[in-house]
Amino acid sequence: MTTDNIEETLRQYILTEFLSGEKASNLHDDTPLRSSGVLDSVATLRLVAFVEEHFGITVEAHEASVENFESIQSIKAFIESKKN
Amino acid sequence: MDFELSEEQQELQNGAIEFARKALNDDMIRRDHEEIFSHDGWMACAHFGVQGLPVPAEYGGMGLGISEVIAVMEGLGYGGRDQGLLFSLNAHLWTATLPIMFFGTEDQRRKYLPGLSNGELIGANGASEPDAGSDIFAMRMRAEKRGNTYVLNGTKTFVSNAPVAHLFVVYATIDAKLGPMGITGFLVDSNTPGLTVGRKLEKMGLRTSPMSEVVFDDCVIPVENRLGREGRGVAVFECSMEWERGCILANYLGLMRRQLESCIDYARNRKQFGKPIGKFQSVANRIVDMKVRLDACRPLVYRIGQLKQQNKAAVLESSIAKLLVSESLVKSCQDALQIFGGYGYMVEQGIERDLRDALGSTLYSGTSEIQRNIIAKSLGI
Repeated sequence: MTTDNIEETLRQYILTEFLSGEKASNLHDDTPLRSSGVLDSVATLRLVAFVEEHFGITVEAHEASVENFESIQSIKAFIESKKN
Repeated sequence: MDFELSEEQQELQNGAIEFARKALNDDMIRRDHEEIFSHDGWMACAHFGVQGLPVPAEYGGMGLGISEVIAVMEGLGYGGRDQGLLFSLNAHLWTATLPIMFFGTEDQRRKYLPGLSNGELIGANGASEPDAGSDIFAMRMRAEKRGNTYVLNGTKTFVSNAPVAHLFVVYATIDAKLGPMGITGFLVDSNTPGLTVGRKLEKMGLRTSPMSEVVFDDCVIPVENRLGREGRGVAVFECSMEWERGCILANYLGLMRRQLESCIDYARNRKQFGKPIGKFQSVANRIVDMKVRLDACRPLVYRIGQLKQQNKAAVLESSIAKLLVSESLVKSCQDALQIFGGYGYMVEQGIERDLRDALGSTLYSGTSEIQRNIIAKSLGI
C-alpha cells in the first residue's frame, strides 16, 4: 500500500463515519482529531478496528493513544511503524 | 421499509402473548409491593425459550433473528404485567448473553451460553459506579494483570439482577492512564472469592427486578475470563447498549398497546354526565395522543431489528428509539392515569405501577439527556 493510499483511505473513512457532510479539503493530514473532539473514545475504537482490519496490524491497548491517533499523519506513521 | 410482522413473527408474538398472560401475572400487587423477583416466572420464560431467543442453536438457544426477538418481546409486554421481570430478562439478554455471543471465545460461549439460555444462569452487568453514571467511561474499577490472572478491585452500582445473578459481565480499566482505551470486559462467576453483592437497592418502579451494588475486593479471575481484547471494553459495552436501547423497548410497545386498548374500552363504557367519557374531547384527545405515539414508536424499534439483521450499525437509530419510546411511554402512562381518574390512582388497577415502572426508562441504558447528546453529535453539532 502506498503512502497516498494510507492517507486517502484514512481520510475517506473518517469523513464517511465521523464527519458526514464535511468537505474532504477541510480534513488535512494534520487536522487534530482526538484533542479537538472529532473522535471520542467510541469513535477512536471504531477507527482502531478499521485500521487493524484494513491494514492488517494489531493495535494494543496502550498504542491506541492520543499520540498515535491524533491526526491522519500520526496514524499513518503508526501504521508504517507497525508494518516495518 | 415494511415493518408489518410476517406470518411467522405474528405467530411467535401471539404465542408470547398467550404465554405471558398465563404464566407471568400472578400476585402482581403483592410482589411489586414486597419487591419479589419471580424465580418461577424466570424459569417459565426459560422453558418458553425467552432467554435463548437470539442464541445460536449450537449453544442451546433458538437462534432467532433480531426482528423475531423484538416481536416476541413486544408480545411479552402486551400479555405480561410484570415489567420488572421483563426488565431483568432484557438486562440478562443484552448485557450478559449478547456480549458473550459476540465477543466471547469459543470456550466462554460453550461454558456460559447454554446455562444463560436455559434459565440456569442469571446474568448481570456491572458498568456504572458511584462516580461514573452517565459518564460511564470515567469508571475507576481496576483490573491488574498478575501472571495468568486478573485481580479486580472496585465497586459497581445499580447492578440489575445482582442479588440473584450467577454470572457478572463487568468492566474495569487495566490502566487508568489510558482512559477509556484501557477499559476491558471480564466474566466473573458470582461465587468468586472477593466478589460481594451488597444490600438490595429499593426502587420506585421495576420493583420485581432486584438490584444492588457489587464490590470487588482483590477478586482474582483467570485470564481466560477476560471478555474480548484488552482495551476493547468500550466496544463490548457500546455493542450491548446498541442492542439494549433498541430491544428493551420492545416490551413497552406491547405495554403501550395494552394501555391504549384498555383506555379505549374504559372511555366507551365509563359514563359521566350522561355519556361515555370518550365523547368528551379532552379524554378522546389523550387517547388519540396515545395512539399517535404508539404508531410513531413502533417502526423505530423494528427499524433497529432490520438494520442489525443486515449487519449494519444502529447506534443513532437506537438512541432515537430509546429517546422517543421511553418518553412516549411515560406520557402514555400519565394519560392512562388521567383517563381512569381516581381508579387509575388505586394500586388495584395497575396503572400507577406501570407509570412507576415507566419512569425508569428515561434513566437506564443512558438517560434521555445522553441520548440527545448522542443524536446531536451524529448531526455534527
